[in-house]
Amino acid sequence: MELSDNTSKGKIIASGVIPFIFIILMMAYIFGPGADLLDFGVLLPEVTIEKIDFLDSEIQATVRNTGPIPVEVVMADVNDRIQPAAVEPDRFLERFETTLVRIPFEWNEAEPYTIGITVEDGTRFEKEVEAAAPALELSLDLAIFFAIIGTYVGIIPVMIGLLWLPFIKKISKQKYHFFLALTAGLLLFLAIDSIEEAVEVSDENLASSFNGTLLVATVTVLSFLGLYYAGNKLVDRANSSKFTKPVAIALMISIGIGLHNFGEGLAIGAAVGMGSIAFSTFLIIGFALHNTTEGLAIAAPMSRGKLMIGKLVAMGIIAGSPAIFGAWIGGFVYSPFTSVIFFGIGAGAIFQVIVVILKWIYDENDQKLSTMAVVSGFAVGMLVMYLTSILV
Amino acid sequence: MISLLTIVIGFSVIVFFPTFSDAQSASKTFVTHSGAVVQTSGEILDPLYTVSTVDFDPMEYLRDFNYGDISQLSDGTTVREFTIIAEDDKIMEVSPGVFYNVWTFNGTVPGPTIRATEGDLLKIKFINNGSKEHTMHFHGIHPAGMDGVFEPVGGNGGQFVYEFEAGPVGVHPYHCHVMPLEEHIVHGLYGVFIVDPKEKRPPADEMVMVLNGLDTDFDTENNFYAANTIPFYYQHHPIQIDTDELIRVYVVNMVEFDPINNFHLHGNLYKYYPTGTDLVPSFYTDMITLSQTERGIMEFQYDFPGKYLFHAHKVEFSEKGWVGIFLVSDSIEKSVQEIDYGTK
Repeated sequence: MELSDNTSKGKIIASGVIPFIFIILMMAYIFGPGADLLDFGVLLPEVTIEKIDFLDSEIQATVRNTGPIPVEVVMADVNDRIQPAAVEPDRFLERFETTLVRIPFEWNEAEPYTIGITVEDGTRFEKEVEAAAPALELSLDLAIFFAIIGTYVGIIPVMIGLLWLPFIKKISKQKYHFFLALTAGLLLFLAIDSIEEAVEVSDENLASSFNGTLLVATVTVLSFLGLYYAGNKLVDRANSSKFTKPVAIALMISIGIGLHNFGEGLAIGAAVGMGSIAFSTFLIIGFALHNTTEGLAIAAPMSRGKLMIGKLVAMGIIAGSPAIFGAWIGGFVYSPFTSVIFFGIGAGAIFQVIVVILKWIYDENDQKLSTMAVVSGFAVGMLVMYLTSILV
Repeated sequence: MISLLTIVIGFSVIVFFPTFSDAQSASKTFVTHSGAVVQTSGEILDPLYTVSTVDFDPMEYLRDFNYGDISQLSDGTTVREFTIIAEDDKIMEVSPGVFYNVWTFNGTVPGPTIRATEGDLLKIKFINNGSKEHTMHFHGIHPAGMDGVFEPVGGNGGQFVYEFEAGPVGVHPYHCHVMPLEEHIVHGLYGVFIVDPKEKRPPADEMVMVLNGLDTDFDTENNFYAANTIPFYYQHHPIQIDTDELIRVYVVNMVEFDPINNFHLHGNLYKYYPTGTDLVPSFYTDMITLSQTERGIMEFQYDFPGKYLFHAHKVEFSEKGWVGIFLVSDSIEKSVQEIDYGTK
């Protein structure tokens, strides 16, 4: 009996391994005797200018090799006029490698500039900046400035939102479900917003070889799965520990919103960094109004437990403070790639929270989601978010 | 909270790290347009000021005139025989680090300067070693069958002999005339054809400047401009001339894509003979405008030594390489009469 068990195990392993052997054979053939098969078409070099910074008497371009073959950066130009330049650390770029091109240039503030990079076969790649503005230099003043903005956009509105807690506490079960569903609606809007933002940033700044949209989708789904698994563990443990289920859910919502606010902080920091100050003022006011609704999202599940002011404040900080870190990173070391990743993670986190909330309503509401309170709450949540988003 | 902080700090370190990691190796310096000296730990991308070796030497081309193999007919007519070989597979470094497929007459862009005296009989043996059809089409006066348009010469060794009487007096371009014409021209199949008057022009320090452009990324816009192909060459290798010496420049505009080109000389004015067909100058100016294949002869001399720029006053062109310097030295003893010119 044991013997036959072993042979059947062996068979299973063999049947799992055999396709791999064929894959290896296929690869070996293509790279070995079949190499001629692939020897068609012309491989064209491609570089992408990911970032342009305006420093004192100098323009700096971060250039990435986004093509299928190694390239050599050989020339830089400003507005299609050839300029002497330096390239650090060196001009040879393997696939996906980046280099910094430093172009000494007396640029004028608020004027548009096109930066061009020519590679060894004479192909020129360019990126336009709508208005030149000095790159932000790391300083304590600016760090404090960003911290204040982050507090204003992240922490304060979330705290204000939490003040709805006593109100939610007093209402009937139906109305309470309305508010929970409203929270889910708000969050769904935020998730879609994060994805849109991520796709936009990747379209504008990342080379097509990154497969921007698929990158966003992958990061979002991975983030969702990871947090879903971790979240369920948390809730399971909540049943047998000091955490109550509402607290666990509120904590997950806080973390999800925190990741989203990190992305918002990045957007604000980057907007200030790129010199569109007027735009970022708008962004700050818009986000602040918008984010009070996030406080409501945390308050809703918490309202069914004991009133725990300490925990509530901690959750407000978890949800709000990442805006500060986001603003620092966005302002000082903005990279489109990291911001795409963060927006993706944020979206996944929020989807996870939505699933948890809906499941909770479903369990509490006699296995139903189709009540008037839930449906209208969800719809109102989306609508409120849309209307406040017009301000951004 | 703490784990979130750790994540954020972790990511910040990842994002910051490249900024820290490039402090290394010995630094180099280079000079900007405005004279500032900039230090770098990396490499210098400088198409303007560094001395770079190039495949094609514009300094040699500048004063290189080809008079052909000379013989006489029984009636006293001078016969000049030339051999011109076309190729279209050469990859040349046209600017530091930039490699471009040039199509060449006798291996260079521009092709050799062909020079004769009015009335000479020219026999130009054309061999096409390229992979495509090519021809030689001379601007000037010749029979229809010698026009290099309806007689395409096949590649891989095809031959044709262009035979005609040199004329009219002046400076003319020659170029390949196979369709698609623009492609054959912009890849470099052109050169200069000078017909001297029988009575000769006054002795001078003579030079040829072909104003050309290079569209290295094939978007029908030139990436580089130059006098004699190599961008910025005469800026960091100034053309040395002497005070009080007559300078004669045969200038031919072969720029494609852009409708005009021009030539501005600093600290001086020149007499200008459009197409060189007349022995009396039409203008005394420091600025001429040239359309496609428009050309002429410029004559000037400098009274004061020093460095003088010459460049396209369509400044875009000069900022992409069509700029040079005359370095004028005081040379009282040197006699202009000693300079050999004309027939060999």
